[in-house]
Amino acid sequence: MAQVTLKNLEKSYGPTKVIHGIDLEIKDKEFVVFVGPSGCGKSTTLRMIAGLETISGGELVIGDRVVNDMPPRQRNISMVFQDYALYPHMTVAKNLGFSLKIAGVSPSEIETRVADAAAILGLEPYLKRKPGQLSGGQRQRVAMGRAIVRHPDVYLFDEPLSNLDAKLRTQMRIEIKKLHQRVGNTIIYVTHDQVEAMTLADRIVIMRDGIIEQVGSPREVFEKPNNTFVATFIGSPPMNLIDAHVASSNGDPVLKLGDGSELSAPARLRNTLEAGKAVKLGVRPEDISPEGNALPTAGEIVQLQLPVLLSEDLGSEATLFTELAGSPVQSIMYNPRTVHAGEMLSFNMALDKCHVFDGESLRNLAA
Amino acid sequence: MITQTPKWPVYVLGSVALVWIIPLVGIIAMSIRPEGEITSGWWTIEPFTFTLDAWREVWVNYPIGRAFLNSLAVASFATVLPVLFAPAAAYAFHYLKFPFRRILLLILVNAFVVPNQVVIIPLFKLWRETGLIDTYWSVVIPFVGLSFAWAVLLVKNFLSNFPRSLIDAAQVDGCGHLRTYFFIVLPNTITAMAAVGILQFMWTWNSLLLPMLFLRENATLPVMLSTISGAYEPNWDQRAVATIITSILPLVIFLFFQKYFSADGKNNSGSKG
Repeated sequence: MAQVTLKNLEKSYGPTKVIHGIDLEIKDKEFVVFVGPSGCGKSTTLRMIAGLETISGGELVIGDRVVNDMPPRQRNISMVFQDYALYPHMTVAKNLGFSLKIAGVSPSEIETRVADAAAILGLEPYLKRKPGQLSGGQRQRVAMGRAIVRHPDVYLFDEPLSNLDAKLRTQMRIEIKKLHQRVGNTIIYVTHDQVEAMTLADRIVIMRDGIIEQVGSPREVFEKPNNTFVATFIGSPPMNLIDAHVASSNGDPVLKLGDGSELSAPARLRNTLEAGKAVKLGVRPEDISPEGNALPTAGEIVQLQLPVLLSEDLGSEATLFTELAGSPVQSIMYNPRTVHAGEMLSFNMALDKCHVFDGESLRNLAA
Repeated sequence: MITQTPKWPVYVLGSVALVWIIPLVGIIAMSIRPEGEITSGWWTIEPFTFTLDAWREVWVNYPIGRAFLNSLAVASFATVLPVLFAPAAAYAFHYLKFPFRRILLLILVNAFVVPNQVVIIPLFKLWRETGLIDTYWSVVIPFVGLSFAWAVLLVKNFLSNFPRSLIDAAQVDGCGHLRTYFFIVLPNTITAMAAVGILQFMWTWNSLLLPMLFLRENATLPVMLSTISGAYEPNWDQRAVATIITSILPLVIFLFFQKYFSADGKNNSGSKG
């Protein structure tokens, strides 16, 4: 069993606090992804779990042991580093077997386990090479192999794909997912790439400035973001936020935009909206598409006439840049045709899929 | 468009390089001509008599072999010790956290600015009282001590480009600091160690002051070289011979290890770049 528990975990460098008390329970065999912008503390948290950074406060439990003051080697974890950290003077086989050699495993056992790991990752032809003679993808695989030969309780991945090109990244992402299905161990994975987070995670932990903003399955954080930060961080292109305030029309709350136009409020929120309140309307680009180029949606549809300022054609879809009441809005156009700048299009907005956030606290009013 | 490399840099560099070779040619010329011929300059062509008299005389009159072995012993000890210990100290100063780390480093670096001449008299008293005068240790110890400052700094500088993640990986793989140092850092620090070794060997091999003061029976080559020029006879030909003998070993070592001066660390741990 290898659940990992973070209890009010803190990290300070001198007087500067960088991790402000994190609570999280990671279940056995769970794939958890920490995601957030640079400097949010996700790598520091991972390094604290690894034992490479001291813990300034709180408690870290791996399995049923409090490991706060244990050196990395006693924690039964293994780690894949962003720059792979392969030992340049050792062959691939030696790199893979190094931790076993240190642990005093017999040479024959080391050979078997290295061969197993090499077979899983397709590294057999390269065992006698040195890291300098391998391509980026191969090095990445060696780094993963080095982690799996040890049969650790927990795997830690620190932005392992960020040095690879886009195509290789997608490929390795699938291999990591397969690896998890195969070995089934607890994995804690750090990335700044929300696509990696969405595709890999059982649960996503979204961090900002040393605190956790939201924890949930990829679908949960996508569909029910706690606040505007999560809403705009998860999803690509990001969610559009339009400033508005709540007004009343015939007793029903409506959203009054900056240019004076009014939108009806999403039905599920009508009871929670108080007149006069400043809010932000959140619309995902796929929920505001040109008429005839939209996905079929249920529920109330609002039609808007908006000018196209710019379009980016991606082949299967296009991203249109437009403006609603002074706020920039991105829209996805499915089955796109060529759209010219300045063209007026009729957009369908799926009102029931929209989010409304508090204008001050920026929290989701539905949450 | 591919243009041919211009020829002129070759000529310019060639003639500059020639300037460095001239003294070497001069010394060789002096060593194989009778002294009478070279007093008006080694470059004179007429008359030119080839003779190995100077070589024979130096060999017969001076304990060249003995001095060579003394030099070798002193320079080897004085080189091996810093090469072994400077990286360990550099590792500790760079990666470990211990009390008074900065102050200790400052004290160590301080030795950088202490010239040989300052320590001579205290050392002489010390060696006399401890009976170390005329033993190798009387020069090896100050050589090692004085070299430690720059050797530690040199390796520490090298380590600042050493990827931190390799150390982290070693820790995660189960190494404590000793094993991290021996298995991971040391094998990748060979360039820095070679640089320390070569520089230290050359300096201690050529050093004159300390061996001259502390070694009597066990004189080293440079000390012996200095005794060849008598007060009344310049002995130019014999000095040339001694110079050649003294510089052969450093020359060989330099030729053998010079690639370590240009080679970079190559410790990019497999990341792109």
